[in-house]
Amino acid sequence: MTEKFHTVGRSAWRKDGLAKVTGAEKYTSDISLPRMWHARVLRSPHPHARVLSIDTSAAEAMGAVCLTFDDVPKVRYNERLVSVPDKLYKDRYVLPDKLRHIGEAFAAVAAPTEELAEKARRAIRVEYELLPPVIEPLAAMQPGSAQLYDKIFFGAEEIQVENNIACPRVIEVGDVDAGFAEADFILEQEFRTGGVYHAQLETKGVIVEPEADGGITVWPTTQSIHNTRILLGEIFDIPLHKINIKKVTIGGTFGSSIQTNSIIPICVALALKARRPIKLLQTREEDWHTHSRYPSIIRLKIGVKKDGTLTAGHMQTIADIGAHNTQAFPFLGVLAGFWVSLYKMPNLKYEGTAVYTNKVPVCAMRGFGAPQSHFAVEAMMDHIAEKLEIDPLELRLKNYIGLGDTFWGQGPTVRSVVKSDGVKELLERGADLIGWRDRPKPGTQSGRFVRGIGMARGFHTSGTGAPRPGEVIDYSSAFIKINEDGSVDVASSLMDHGGGSLDALAKIAAETLGVPYDKVGLSPVDTRTTAYDVCTHATRGVYVGGGAVHKVALQVREKLLKLAAQLLGAEPAALSIKPDEELGQGVIYAESVPGLSITVGEVASYARVNSMYTIQAADSLRQVNGPPAYVAHFVEIEVDTETGVIRPIRAVAGSDAGTVINPDMAVGQLEGGLIQGLGFAFYEDSRYDPDTGQPLSRGLITDGKIPTFGELPNVDNMVSFFAHTYEPTGPFGAKGIGEAAINPVAAAFANAVYNALGVRFTELPITPEMVLAALARKKVTTDEPSASEELLTPAG
Amino acid sequence: MTTPLLMNSHILVQEFDLHRPTSVAEAVALLEQYNGQAKVLAGGTDLLVNMKLERAQAEQVIAIGRIKALKQITAGPDGLAIGPLATFYDLQQSEVIRQTYQALHEAAKSVSGTQIKMMGTIGGNLCNASPAADSAPALLLCDAQVELTGVTGPRRVDLAEFFTGPGQTVRQANELLTGIVLRPPQPTEGSAFLKLGRVGADIAKVSAAVRLVRDGQKVAECRLALGSVAPTPVRARLAETRLAGQPFDLALAEVAAQTAAQEIIPITDVRSTAAYRARAAQVLVRDALLAAWDRSSR
Amino acid sequence: MKKELINLTVNGETYELLVVPNELLLNVLRDRLHLTGTKYVCGIGECGACTVSIDGALMLSCLMLAATADGSEITTIEGLAGVDGQLDPVQEAFLDHGAYQCGYCTPGLIMSSKALLQENANPTEAEIREFLRGNLCRCTGYSSVVRAVQGAAGSMRAEGG
Repeated sequence: MTEKFHTVGRSAWRKDGLAKVTGAEKYTSDISLPRMWHARVLRSPHPHARVLSIDTSAAEAMGAVCLTFDDVPKVRYNERLVSVPDKLYKDRYVLPDKLRHIGEAFAAVAAPTEELAEKARRAIRVEYELLPPVIEPLAAMQPGSAQLYDKIFFGAEEIQVENNIACPRVIEVGDVDAGFAEADFILEQEFRTGGVYHAQLETKGVIVEPEADGGITVWPTTQSIHNTRILLGEIFDIPLHKINIKKVTIGGTFGSSIQTNSIIPICVALALKARRPIKLLQTREEDWHTHSRYPSIIRLKIGVKKDGTLTAGHMQTIADIGAHNTQAFPFLGVLAGFWVSLYKMPNLKYEGTAVYTNKVPVCAMRGFGAPQSHFAVEAMMDHIAEKLEIDPLELRLKNYIGLGDTFWGQGPTVRSVVKSDGVKELLERGADLIGWRDRPKPGTQSGRFVRGIGMARGFHTSGTGAPRPGEVIDYSSAFIKINEDGSVDVASSLMDHGGGSLDALAKIAAETLGVPYDKVGLSPVDTRTTAYDVCTHATRGVYVGGGAVHKVALQVREKLLKLAAQLLGAEPAALSIKPDEELGQGVIYAESVPGLSITVGEVASYARVNSMYTIQAADSLRQVNGPPAYVAHFVEIEVDTETGVIRPIRAVAGSDAGTVINPDMAVGQLEGGLIQGLGFAFYEDSRYDPDTGQPLSRGLITDGKIPTFGELPNVDNMVSFFAHTYEPTGPFGAKGIGEAAINPVAAAFANAVYNALGVRFTELPITPEMVLAALARKKVTTDEPSASEELLTPAG
Repeated sequence: MTTPLLMNSHILVQEFDLHRPTSVAEAVALLEQYNGQAKVLAGGTDLLVNMKLERAQAEQVIAIGRIKALKQITAGPDGLAIGPLATFYDLQQSEVIRQTYQALHEAAKSVSGTQIKMMGTIGGNLCNASPAADSAPALLLCDAQVELTGVTGPRRVDLAEFFTGPGQTVRQANELLTGIVLRPPQPTEGSAFLKLGRVGADIAKVSAAVRLVRDGQKVAECRLALGSVAPTPVRARLAETRLAGQPFDLALAEVAAQTAAQEIIPITDVRSTAAYRARAAQVLVRDALLAAWDRSSR
Repeated sequence: MKKELINLTVNGETYELLVVPNELLLNVLRDRLHLTGTKYVCGIGECGACTVSIDGALMLSCLMLAATADGSEITTIEGLAGVDGQLDPVQEAFLDHGAYQCGYCTPGLIMSSKALLQENANPTEAEIREFLRGNLCRCTGYSSVVRAVQGAAGSMRAEGG
């Protein structure tokens, strides 16, 4: 598909490559400003407490500038502005009125050096009133349990929080009771997934410089410079034209900076008070205490006919959101959306409840509910296939939502019709590559080391677009100009997590304008010189961000060709542009008229020399679809039945990303997603002491392990491939990939474990301790499934 | 330990005086002078981490990295002498250790990452005295002795007596660990070390080290040591008695492994459960026995 | 605390610095010498992002007192490319194989990979993975790095270097 393109689909050195491999790339922590002071934050040692008194006099005597609740604007807000204003649950202040989790920032100091700031921080005297902590979500929901909140805001309306329920969400389609009545079999199971720390390598940080006119310049770790700007303007009542958020390279985020993290407004407040630049960096142990993935409890009930047709589904979920509501409401919607968009279910009911607990607040992490719901659904589909004696791939192909179907993607207000679908190719090729037909029968193997093959499929939406705008703001902007030498500047406020989205945008610009890729530059940007982009999340970077670049590049191309046509004495419609690597220019020419050509640089230079104009355009784009980026994973694992240790042997990842703009970076997404999914499946869980609320790892990555070089399959045993599809609504046919790359992975691994051992784990992570315990139980009760395994009731 | 929220891993908050002696005599004199208030800094991979975590406090730090004489690994007829500043990487790369002290080689290799191996010293590992210390089980196999030097001169202590509890040893505050001595290997011996972590680069959940001396088809002599399953690294002495003098086969190995698993007192902590550690220890001991026996005949 | 005058040779240049005992080498490199390529990620020796080469050995600069590096020769990521900007083969291989994404672990990984290849010109995959085990990455899933190291090994052997 990409053979007809000159740039899109080709691998090339990334534009940030030289800086990154030589250590020259600058992240927030690498920036220093004259007169800059350093800040440290005081964080709650208690999961639930009131601050009775706070004495900063000793800190101030050291010369530190201090910040407490009294110093901050009493504006209530939600850190994440992706949702429309009237759907925002606002429970935050810049510094909180009450302490609701271990690690909650409630005071801050700034001093000339970090060492002095550290001393000042430790000199602050606090008197606490301890309150009973609620750690377990089910306990938190009980009437009479300690309440985290009294009143919060929903949009502009003050609402009462009852029983620590942050928000409920119920969605119904059709008639579930009738649907279950129609079923020949009903399966019901409860699944749990753990809290996972993003473990992005760069700990979050920010530098704020107060400007002479009362404005601020900010260098933050963020996934949205514009949302950060809007929020700061709202909190500090500074007009947006005086707030400049600089785009700074980020060292990974995986969702942890979709929201404007608490250190950012804290640092603004400190900088305004101190009247000098302030740098605030989180240590790793602090960073751990500020966000994690949504742990989940999912109860799933599916009704199915003998022939494998799904008739009804009922999902109940408890989302333990920790101490703050960052995006619980959209999360519940997205979890539902990902569930109902995997397979056709004419009757369904979804009941989600988000619950406050005195733990680290959760926020989106790569997949945002999809890894959790994929785990439940794909395990269930495997289970159904086994019970009905239908091939698992056939069952999926029969029921999946694909070409021509309407799907929800990220929730009920984000619906579109599927226009490109590579699922069949993914399943057939993946099955081939792993040797699906030759896999063993579950639980039939003996010996110490047993292997199993498992698969799971899924998707992520490419952005959150829909025919009509809904609860989720989603659009991007771009500004493109042709420089006087024929090179091109592309200014996009889209953030690149590191996966190479911006390079895709540069390629789209190069392809559209017909200029060599190495003549397209990605401009350093900030909020004062760019138009809005909502955020790099929801796998929207290429599809929407790139879509905006494509739209604007077409506008620039039109202007370019109009002037070129004048100069050549031709019609614009007769002209083409293609890059000439030797000349280092795009060449505008008329087909079949040899000699009639001019370079892009010559046209731009003409415009300058004749005092005309810069060839430029700026615009925004909202996509009206959120096409599914389908994906399928086929994996083989080996279990040491004596130690319970599981290791991955082979992995096949197939992606339907439409036109693959950056092939090697797309492979990078698949490989990275696979290992993150591996971590989710087998290693990662942030657990808390149920009585004290103390995280067992204490926030130290010594006990918060993520996969290392040792945990992956041999590189030759990892295969990534792409389906041959073209998404008509995406720039040059592209869709997304980032989160699709992780969504079904844990499910595939869990299904592989079932294939190997005949034991179905419904809780993640699957640790060696759990494996040995399950194998021991299996030896004792070979015929009866244990109570926790399943409830199988033939209906009718 | 201070809650991590009061710590700061980005800088070293503690303030102290730093000394950088260039000889053992100088170092020992400093330890004597600051009796109890000084901490010895070798590779830094334990002390600096503990200081950042505020598990260790020091007003005086004595950095011994400049005492080059403490870095040697020397094999002789009386055995192997290892200087305390020998790093895990030095141990891993040492040909004589790879050939004749296989368990120690494997233990060094198992240390979490190359950087830690190149910085971390065996002396530091022993003095830090974690129950999970990677070097200890393998050294216990060789009836290792440590040399402790104070102002009055050196003394030798059996490694088996060296550890007294988690993080505690018989080393006095005014003594420097100046050497480790291992028995010379016998021609018909083999050893092995196995470790289980959560991921490849990790502190051990459980580790096992075995050394067998073969006499024909019989076990002439055996040493069995375990890590992370007791307050200190320990010998599984009951299991050793099951093996001594017996003809070796898989069944014997299973019995010995079972005995070893019953001798230990593992705990449940953030890394693993007591039950799992006991079960896994049994598997590791059996596997290590088989490997050591196999090597003893090469 | 008493200030001490030390000499550090970093990337071929010698600096005379007054340091206090508790100053970490990582922060001296980053904040005083403005060599910000070496990163802070965990501070407790678990991640390898602060890896530098000192007298030929790989060290975690976040766990080193600057004073104890007195008199040593230190190479950081900034010192790998030639003075004319010519990339080290390992750096080129990382670019060729797209063996990075956010780039935060990249300096430490490149330093470690270089040390590996200096010691073992033809490492197997198992050897590569074992040697680099102390370097964490959250983005790439590691495979592209293995391929880059294999590629660098190949090109270094081809050059006879």
